[in-house]
Amino acid sequence: MTKPLQINPLKLSQPMGSLLAFLGIKNCMPLMHGAQGCASFSKVFFTRHFNDPIAIQTTAVNDITAIVDGGDYSISEAINNITKKVKPDLVGLFTTGLTEVKGDDIKGATYLLKKRMKMVYVHTPDFEGGLESGFAKTIEAIIEQLVVPTKEIDSKKALLIPNVNITPIEVEKIKEQLELFGFKSFALPDLSDSLDGHLGLKQGALSSGGISLENIKNLANCSLVISVGRSVEKCGISMLEKNPNMTHLHFDSLGGLKNSDKFYKALMEFTKVSKPASSIIRWRKRLQDVLLDTHFLIGGANVVVALEPDQINSIVQTISEAGANIKAIIAPTNSMAINELTCKVIIGDFDDVEKILEENDLLISNFHGHRLTKKHNKALMLRGFPNFEGIGYQLKNDSLYEGSSYLLCEIANILEHHRH
Amino acid sequence: MVNKKQIKELLNESTCSHNIEKKSSCNRAKPGATSGGCAFEGAQIALFPFADVIHLVHAPSTCQGASWETRESRTSYKGEDNTPLGYCTDINTNDIIFGGNKKLEDSIKYIIKHKNPKAIFVYETCVTAMIGDNMDSLAKRLEKKYSIPIVVVHSPGFVGGKNLGSRLGGIAILEQLIGTKEPKEIHPYGINLIGEYNVTGDMWQYTPILEKIGIKIVSTLAGDGRIENIQQAHRAKLNVIVCAKSLVTLCKKMEEKYSIPYVSVSFYGKRDTSNAIRTIVGAFKDEKLSKKAEIVIDDEERKLEKKLIPFRKILKGKKAILNTGGNKSWSIASALQDIGIEVVATSIRKATLEDIDIAKKYVPILMKVPANEQAKLIDEHKVDILLAGGRSLYTAIKKRVAFVDVNQEKKVSYGAYNGLINLAKNVCNAVNNPVFKVVGTTAPWEKTND
Repeated sequence: MTKPLQINPLKLSQPMGSLLAFLGIKNCMPLMHGAQGCASFSKVFFTRHFNDPIAIQTTAVNDITAIVDGGDYSISEAINNITKKVKPDLVGLFTTGLTEVKGDDIKGATYLLKKRMKMVYVHTPDFEGGLESGFAKTIEAIIEQLVVPTKEIDSKKALLIPNVNITPIEVEKIKEQLELFGFKSFALPDLSDSLDGHLGLKQGALSSGGISLENIKNLANCSLVISVGRSVEKCGISMLEKNPNMTHLHFDSLGGLKNSDKFYKALMEFTKVSKPASSIIRWRKRLQDVLLDTHFLIGGANVVVALEPDQINSIVQTISEAGANIKAIIAPTNSMAINELTCKVIIGDFDDVEKILEENDLLISNFHGHRLTKKHNKALMLRGFPNFEGIGYQLKNDSLYEGSSYLLCEIANILEHHRH
Repeated sequence: MVNKKQIKELLNESTCSHNIEKKSSCNRAKPGATSGGCAFEGAQIALFPFADVIHLVHAPSTCQGASWETRESRTSYKGEDNTPLGYCTDINTNDIIFGGNKKLEDSIKYIIKHKNPKAIFVYETCVTAMIGDNMDSLAKRLEKKYSIPIVVVHSPGFVGGKNLGSRLGGIAILEQLIGTKEPKEIHPYGINLIGEYNVTGDMWQYTPILEKIGIKIVSTLAGDGRIENIQQAHRAKLNVIVCAKSLVTLCKKMEEKYSIPYVSVSFYGKRDTSNAIRTIVGAFKDEKLSKKAEIVIDDEERKLEKKLIPFRKILKGKKAILNTGGNKSWSIASALQDIGIEVVATSIRKATLEDIDIAKKYVPILMKVPANEQAKLIDEHKVDILLAGGRSLYTAIKKRVAFVDVNQEKKVSYGAYNGLINLAKNVCNAVNNPVFKVVGTTAPWEKTND
C-alpha cells in the first residue's frame, strides 16, 4: 500500500510562498483570501522563522460568506478595514484552498476596486503546488499586472529574480555582485530590504521594506534579468514579454565553484569585462582553499537532504564538489531542479526521511529535522523553512564563491563536532 | 457535518458577560481587521495534547503543514508522543473534484496498520467541509471494523476563531468519548483538569502539590492527557477549569449530564496558586482535606519565599508595564506583584469583559490602546521594565528600559510556585542586561537619540 497521507510534512503551501513574495515589496499589505486561520498560521510561522513582525491581513471568510459571497464582498470589506488604519502602496491578494474551491472571481473583485486601491491578484490554492510555486506564481502576477512594457533599454540596469529559498542576505550579496559589474541592481521581490532582520521604527502593519511600486512599474527597461532557481525561470521569461530587447540569464543554482564560475562568466560576457573586481577573484581563491580544507571531513560523508527542490539542487551541487556522498534527497513537490540529480529522489515527508536516516551521517533540513536527528543520533545542518529555534537564518549566505565557502566550513564543522 | 445549531449555542454561552450586555453573540471576524487563529487551530490547541492519540487533519497543506510541532505541550506518555507530529491527508485537486472520503479512509487504514494507535481524532477543515466529505459515517464504520475510537472533530476554520474551535473540540470529546469507559474505582477527591494544555510543563508545577494534599487527577483535557482517562472523566467529582474560558460550555454540559460541579482557577503567581488550591479543595467541603491543604500551602509558600530572596533584592522598587492579551493581562500582573514588582499599567486591548473586571482589581491603569499609551506611561511613571510581545521591543529600546518578551512563557513555565522563580529569573536577567541601552545608543551619523 503506498502511503496515502503525509506524516510530518515537509510541504509548505502555495499561499505561504505568495505571502513571502509580497513581503518583498515596499509598503505592501499581503491579503490572504480565505478563512482567518490560513493567515494566522502563516503569520506565526514566518514570525518565528524570521524573528520579526510579519505583515498580513485576511479576508476572514466565514460560513456565510463561504457560500453566498463570490469574493467581492469580503475583499472590498477587507480593503475598507485595512485603509482605515494604514495606507498601503499595494495590496497583494492571493487565494487559498477554500476560496478556490468556491471559485471566487478575484480578478473581477480587483477590477471593481481599482479606483480605490492598487492591487495584484494571484491564484494560489493550497491543494496544488507548494512554497516554491506560490512564490513564483506571485512574481509572475506582479510582472504581468504591474510592469509597464517598453522597448527601451537602460544598459546599466539589472534585475534579479530569486527563488523562495534565497535568503535576504543572499539577495543583497547577489545584488552587490551585479553592482561590481557596473549595474544598478534591483530584486523582485527584495527581501534583503524587508526581512533581513533590521531594527526598524515601524511595528509591522505593512511590509517594512522591499522594492517600491514605482521601481516595479519601471523594471521593463532593465538590460538584464537574472533568474536563480528552476522555480522562477518562467518569471524571467515573463519579463521578456514586457520588453523583447531585454536579455535573460537563468541559473538553476549559484552554489559551488562551478555554478559561481558560470555566473561570473556570463556576466563578464554580457558586460564585456575581461577581469572582474578584485574581491571576486580573491573569493574564488578562498573557496578553492576551503574546498581543499574541508574535503577530508565532507568527502565520503553520507548525506540526506530534505528541503525545497531549488535549495536541494543548490546545496547538493555545492557539497558534492567537496566529495559529499548524497544518499537521498527528499522534496515536498516534484521539480526539474531535482530530476537531473543522480542520487535517490523521493517526493515525500519526514516519515520518509526517518526511514533512510539510520544508515547516514548528516541530515540537511529544517527545524523539524531536530527531533529526528536527536532520536537517531545524527548530525544536522539547519536550512530551509521553518527555522523556529535558530537565530539569524536571514543572514545565512550559501551563494557564489563567498557563500559556498561559509556553507562548506559550516558542514565540515558540524561533522567534526558530531564525530566526537 | 458541521452542526449549525450547535455552533450557535456555543457562541451564545450565557456565562460570557458580553452576552448579557449586548444582544449579539461572540463577534464574527472582520475582513481586513482580524488577527488570531481559526476554529481548527482552537481544536488543535485543545485536543492535540492527547499524546496517545493520532491526530489526522483532513485538509490541504496549509492547515497542518504550517502548524505541526509548534507548541511545547509536554507529556509523560511512554509510547510515541503524537502531540508534535503532523498527520495530514494533503487533499489535492483530484480529491476536490471526486471527493476526499477515499483518501481519508485509506489514510485511517494506513495509520491503523502501521502505527497501531489507541485512537484516532480526525479534524474537518474548510476545504473538506466545503466539498462535503461525509466523515461521520466513515468514522463510525471504521470504528466498528477496527474497534478503536475514531473521533470526528468538526472544526473548519471558517466557522469562527480559536475559542470556538476549542469549544467544538470539547463537545466532540463530550459526545464521543466521555462516559465510554468505567473506572475500576471511584476516587472521593477525583478531579478533571479542563483547559490545561501543559505547555512547557505548566501543569506539573502544581499537580504534585494537589496529589500531596490527596486530590486525584482523574483526567485532563488535554495536557499530558490519555484517551483512557478522558473516557472515564464522568466519574470525577469536580471539573477544574484552568485559566481558560473556552471550555466553560463543556463543563456546564457535564454538570447537567453527570452532576459534576465546576470551578475556575488560575495558577499564575503565588496568591493565585494558593487561592486555586483552596478553591479546588474547598469544593469538596471536607475539613480534613482543607486542613491538609493549608499545611501544604504554608510549606510551599515558605519554600518559595526563601528561593525568591535573591531576586527580591534586585527587583525591589522596580516598576513595570504589562502589554499582553487575554487572561494574561491580569494573571501575569498578579505574578509580577508576587515577586515585588509594582505593575503600573496593563493592556486590556485583547482581554474579555471578565478579564477586564479581574484586571481592575490588580492594576491601577488599564491601557486600551497600549501602542499609543505605553511610551507615555513609561516616562510619566519612570517605569523600569516593559513586558510585552516582540512588537513593543522598539518602544523599550527607544525609552531605554528593560524588555521582557512575555511570550517566553511558551518556552519556560511560569506556572504555580516554581514557575514564579522562572519569571523572576527572566525579569532579573532583563533588568541586568545592558543590551537595551547598548542597542539604543545613537549612531555616529545621527544627531540625537530620538
